[in-house]
Amino acid sequence: MTKYILKRLIILLFTLWIVITLTFFLMQIMPGTPFNNPHLSAQAIAQMNETYGLDKPLWQQYLTYLVNALHGDLGTSFQYQNQSVSMLIGQRLPISAQLGLQALVVGLVVGLWLGSVSARHQNSKLDGTLGVFSTLGIAMPSFIIAIALLYLFGYEWQLFPVSGWGDSFSETVLPTLALAAAPAAVTARFVRSEMIESLHSDYIELARAKGLSDKELVNHHAYRNSLIPVLTLIGPMAANLLTGSVLVENIFSIPGIGQQFVSSIPTKDFPVIMGTTIVYAAMLMFMILVTDVLTAVVDPRVRLQ
Amino acid sequence: METWKKWTLAAAAVLVVAGGTRAAGWWGADKSKDKNTLNYALVTEIQTMDLSKQVDQYSSTIAGNTGANLLRMDADGKPVPDLAKSVDVSEDGKTYIAHLRSGLKWSDGSSLTAKDFVYSWQRIVDPKTASQYAYLASGVQNADDITAGKKPVSDLGVSADGDTITFKLDNPMPQFKSLLTFTNFMPQKQSFVEKQGSKYGTTAEKQIYSGPYKLEGWNGTNNKFKTVKNDNYWDAKNVKTKTVNWQVVKKPETAVELYKKGEIDRAGIYNSPEIYKANKNNKDVTKVPQAASTYLEYNQTGKNKFLANEKIRQALNMATNRAEATKQASGGIFDTATGLVSNNLTKAANGQDLATFVNPGYEYDKDKASQLFAEGLKEVGETKMDVTLLGDADTPITKNYIDYLKQAWESNLKGISVTEKFVPFKQRLQDQQSQNFDIVLNNWTGDYPDGSTFYDLFKSPTAGNNDGQFKNQAYIDAITKADGSDANDPVARSNDFKTAEAALKDQANINPLGSWNAYYLVRPNVKNVVMNSTGLPIDLTHAYRTDK
Repeated sequence: MTKYILKRLIILLFTLWIVITLTFFLMQIMPGTPFNNPHLSAQAIAQMNETYGLDKPLWQQYLTYLVNALHGDLGTSFQYQNQSVSMLIGQRLPISAQLGLQALVVGLVVGLWLGSVSARHQNSKLDGTLGVFSTLGIAMPSFIIAIALLYLFGYEWQLFPVSGWGDSFSETVLPTLALAAAPAAVTARFVRSEMIESLHSDYIELARAKGLSDKELVNHHAYRNSLIPVLTLIGPMAANLLTGSVLVENIFSIPGIGQQFVSSIPTKDFPVIMGTTIVYAAMLMFMILVTDVLTAVVDPRVRLQ
Repeated sequence: METWKKWTLAAAAVLVVAGGTRAAGWWGADKSKDKNTLNYALVTEIQTMDLSKQVDQYSSTIAGNTGANLLRMDADGKPVPDLAKSVDVSEDGKTYIAHLRSGLKWSDGSSLTAKDFVYSWQRIVDPKTASQYAYLASGVQNADDITAGKKPVSDLGVSADGDTITFKLDNPMPQFKSLLTFTNFMPQKQSFVEKQGSKYGTTAEKQIYSGPYKLEGWNGTNNKFKTVKNDNYWDAKNVKTKTVNWQVVKKPETAVELYKKGEIDRAGIYNSPEIYKANKNNKDVTKVPQAASTYLEYNQTGKNKFLANEKIRQALNMATNRAEATKQASGGIFDTATGLVSNNLTKAANGQDLATFVNPGYEYDKDKASQLFAEGLKEVGETKMDVTLLGDADTPITKNYIDYLKQAWESNLKGISVTEKFVPFKQRLQDQQSQNFDIVLNNWTGDYPDGSTFYDLFKSPTAGNNDGQFKNQAYIDAITKADGSDANDPVARSNDFKTAEAALKDQANINPLGSWNAYYLVRPNVKNVVMNSTGLPIDLTHAYRTDK
């Protein structure tokens, strides 16, 4: 197991290097200069480029960046003057993490519950209705759900704040729900089909024959075996949450890493674009690794190689 | 009852209770009634509180309310004493002497001296600071040489002696008093800046304040913070508001909604024609003219032979119905431009608005345009002309202007074919600065309330911001006089600007379109808010809330 994890970590580093290299050179194709002031003359821009080392040959800039990144130095933002990229990300990451975690928990809890309700009422009207909702949850991107929630709960009924973060828990409700829709839907569908299969398996029949109530059957036996596939879903779901949060954070004005990422692109803030891309890539790969390991731990039939 | 039904009922109950308590006001009282606090929104986060490095208007909004300079703009746009008791100007207009008030203090209680001003001026021109606004100091003795690394910062023409600060200029600068209100030139304390090092201005604690309020609760990236009254400000007794709450609201629609709920006291409605139209009849609408204009630049390098021809440029200008174009493009947000200079920038010597005084009389004349166009085409030996109109992809008003112009020119001028090209803002800047365009729709925002902030643009064919790279000798002569021999003579200077504006029209070097305005929903019970056309966008020094 240790060997496997080590191997995966090395692959992870290698992938990161590819991500850094690709992003670095792709960014050079982007037009314009990072100095966002139309009042600057050509001479002044040349001087700024020199100060920030942007006049050096590309390979030199690339090597400098790689060496610094290896030392954990992601540079200083061009737009947020004096702010180091690590600090910018460090302050925003917990906000995005909280949002993601809340959404994941809400999504899983709601999904597990809906899934089991559907399974136990298989082919009923209720099952059909829930099926429609879970299809919608999967098919609709989070930003559309976000706008719908914003419109209904924020503007029309004024139940929750429409933007912001950090003042009260109520601010987190709408963005969490917007992000939780997809994981809830995915979980519900998986749990439903797994549960239906479990409920028809021999050991459940046996338990039923022994006189266990429906409730005990589901809670003690069927649920556990339906959970394994859900576990494998958490990795990809977390990845979806990360990318989904980029848009949702913008819609709700949440100062998270996603918003930072989006706003750094039009301003051509190289160090921030690089930094956030690296963090995103690292988080995604780490999630996938954790999922693989967890699956192996939970289900002994899975062998890691 | 089945479990799922119970749960559904419970969830519904929670929602109803939540909604009920919120409606009943349990979640916080109406903020627009609290007399101790004001609430405002910024469109983007604070980017830095390092005064020398701020370039965006939202960071400088916070800086201008937490810091003070020698002078401050009053409600009429006149610079009046702030940290200075008075500012004297020498006869030749090349020396300014500021006398500080006595007993000035920083927000941390330490004394604020003339040296703090000298340090701030030296710091912004220092090439090591790499300030994007170093060019604003250009004109102060040796400033340009210092920024270019040719002289040490100690050579800058700003010096302190006791309570006086002396500024020595290369040439008279009629706009210099407005520079003394700028946030970038507010005092900075050397020992504090050096102690913070690279962390200076990155959080509320890494800055000290010289103005009416001090910043609190800003950690460098968050989007809610406040400015609270600074008891060490010299005029603290006239600062009536204890706390101003600030939040970042990026979407104009959200800001309008927050305004209507009473959560913020001002919301901009000039971001797009749609949001303006939806709100323009609200009784709280206030117009704030902006020192900014929109105009077309023609590439006159010779790269495009059509645009190098004066008759063709004249034809394009005459085929432009700028009143109609501006109405269609901005939905009533902009005024029609009468020249390069924006409306409401400043007054001419005779008291008229400068734009009105210099108005060279751009006209719309389809017939003359089509005749000139035919003559122009003959001169370049062609029968038709293909031309590309470049503009920002990210601003709706630009898009509308370009759509209008394409349609108008193609129907007014026989043989012209216009291609629209929309690119991101950054690329437009780059294309325009490297002459990679035929015709570009450009916006220029004035830095200070003086004609030179516009007229210096085309002083030389290559330097500065003359993207079309034209050389108009009559224009250059007029502006050289305005900046030189006529600098201390307001009447002659206004006339120079008039000559320059007429010269631009004569050769059709540019095509003026619109003059900008900002429109806000403004809470009527908040008094004494100063909103400027240049410099600090909103000044809350003396703002307070009344009962109504």
